Amino acid sequence: MQSKLSDIELIEQTLAGDQSAYADLVKRHQRFVFTLAMRFAKTREDAEEIAQDCFIKAYRSLDSFQRQSKFTTWLYSIVYTTAMTALRKKRVDTDSIDDENTYIQIENQSSGYDVNNAENKSRSFYLNQAIAQLLPDDAAIITLFYKGEQSLEEIGQALGIEANTVKVKLFRARQRLKERLERNLKHEVNELI
Amino acid sequence: MNSVEEKLWNYIDGSCTPEDEKAISLLIEGDEVYRNKYNQLLKLNNEFSVMELDEPSMAFTYNVMAAIGQEHARQPLKAAINTRIIKGIGLFFVVTISVILIFALYKVNWSAGAGVVQVPSQLLPDFKNLLSGPVMKVFLFFDVVLALYLFDTYLRKKGNARAMGSVQTSGQQKEQ
Repeated sequence: MQSKLSDIELIEQTLAGDQSAYADLVKRHQRFVFTLAMRFAKTREDAEEIAQDCFIKAYRSLDSFQRQSKFTTWLYSIVYTTAMTALRKKRVDTDSIDDENTYIQIENQSSGYDVNNAENKSRSFYLNQAIAQLLPDDAAIITLFYKGEQSLEEIGQALGIEANTVKVKLFRARQRLKERLERNLKHEVNELI
Repeated sequence: MNSVEEKLWNYIDGSCTPEDEKAISLLIEGDEVYRNKYNQLLKLNNEFSVMELDEPSMAFTYNVMAAIGQEHARQPLKAAINTRIIKGIGLFFVVTISVILIFALYKVNWSAGAGVVQVPSQLLPDFKNLLSGPVMKVFLFFDVVLALYLFDTYLRKKGNARAMGSVQTSGQQKEQ
């Protein structure tokens, strides 16, 4: 059972030497951190490694958390930086994720799946599939906005950009996601939207 | 960029000005194209809001805490020792030496002659008494106790590090 204490109270207990308080913080935020990491890593193993790395980094620098922002905003900025670093490292060995060929490959994969199975699959599945086909930045902004309980300003803080830029990026990301859904679901899209 | 969609998204997010909000709500009421587009985007917005989060493996928290515990066990002595203690010890010696020096200089008989500095006899310790049997025995006994204590601490740390290593391995096996 998870602790009912606030994030700040758990941080104070952790700083006082109670490691179980930090375990509660990890349990509380692990799903979102992992989902955010998935937006960059694509495979569960890599995402789990990134998410684990983020919590260890956050633990190491917990005493430097100024408490001027929400703990989640601070944590998501660590996730973003760690995930971007991991993505850059991957790019050295493999093709760029922005690479046109990679993008076409993903596109072909998506258009090839059987739309007749649409009825058997949940809406969430299609949505997650379409999000997975977006560029990492777009997917991260949509996830932060809808599931991270973050305002445009807080997303800006986490990503190190202005709130207005977040607004524009969010608009474009939603447009692309809508296009992806329309392309993936074809006629079935009317049922979803 | 589609300005109609952008305005409607801002309206849905509640990030437009009160004037814009009023104007857009009038457009939605009066214009069917606007209304249809608004309903479509609102439905999409609701879909986005209920998207499910991914679940990491069962052993995720356990792995994180084991990694943190292992990091603690591996922490170098330099990082484990509180720097304030080191600074405090340093300060103690600096203050003691300074006090002795000032006291010695104060007590020196400067009128005794150039080139000859006579340090007052009460400042020098009585070495004969210090090196006598009982004092030496107490000193050696203290050294032995200290050595045993440090050896015990070293063995405990080594044991903890080994235990953390086995915990980490069993965690990974559990996950697999």
